[in-house]
Amino acid sequence: MILESIGKRFGDKVKVKERRDGKFDIYVNPDMVLPLISFLKTSKFDHLTFITCVDWIKEKEFELVYNLFSYEIRKEVFVKVRVSREKPEVESIVPVYEIAETYEREIHEMFGVYFAGNDNLTPIFLEDWKGPPPMRKDFNALEYSNEKYEVKNG
Amino acid sequence: MAIKQWAQGRSLWLMHFCTGCGAVELPPTMTSRFDMERFGIAPMATPRQADVLLVTGYLTVKTLKRVIRSYEQMIDPKYVIGFGSCTVNGGMYYDSYNVINHLDLYIPVDVYVAGCMPRPEAIIDAFLKLRQMIVNGEADGWKKYRENLEWYRKNQRKILDVDKWGLL
Repeated sequence: MILESIGKRFGDKVKVKERRDGKFDIYVNPDMVLPLISFLKTSKFDHLTFITCVDWIKEKEFELVYNLFSYEIRKEVFVKVRVSREKPEVESIVPVYEIAETYEREIHEMFGVYFAGNDNLTPIFLEDWKGPPPMRKDFNALEYSNEKYEVKNG
Repeated sequence: MAIKQWAQGRSLWLMHFCTGCGAVELPPTMTSRFDMERFGIAPMATPRQADVLLVTGYLTVKTLKRVIRSYEQMIDPKYVIGFGSCTVNGGMYYDSYNVINHLDLYIPVDVYVAGCMPRPEAIIDAFLKLRQMIVNGEADGWKKYRENLEWYRKNQRKILDVDKWGLL
């Protein structure tokens, strides 16, 4: 049902794939995130469970995963967007789901992805942090910890 | 002087500041099974009324800021017990980007309790050790903090913007 309406609305700009567990993966380009998410919200997906980010370092891309749920039809969809690691930028979905602000702040802090349109991307968990975004795969946590918090031998 | 120390060692008020998972061992220590109040150890709500700061487990940078502020609000003489292996050398968080490794770089520690987690017996043992140190006049971490404040500040400055807080 959603498959058809998405296909009708967006044509070949999005790719929908059904997973084995009956949930749906929707792959989309960065410029179509906001239209797609607002379309999903109007077609019964009224709950944003979370947004997360995956660092595909070999492919030099971040993958943002928007996890949406519908209480009415009891279905879950994952909207997946790939952005380049060099200039990670994607449109904010705060106009559609207000709760996204917190998740976007966290991803901005932990991965350094910039969300255009979210004007509250201030630090949320880390305090007085001066290093690179810590959840990136090329961040060496052990080296950073040894240098900053010091190691005493013996 | 000896009577004063004798009395101080037998009336340790513990600041209620639970930083990590180690705090789960405190309720059994406080309540009837182990009953730490028979040694004069009692929990207290505010830093200004407390004698002992018990750092129960790992400290993130964010919590360390609160710990330092609370420690500086406590009134002399004051004592610190480092609780669990996280305060000794980082424990299982040795490679975390946001958890400190050595507590004694930032505030002076009088007694360490090893273990992950220490049992209530070990906690009470640490308190008895601290009491012995107070009676012998050995628990002088708070004096060291005053004398070597610049050294502690230097370490704190490395990870926190201490100068913006307006302390001391």
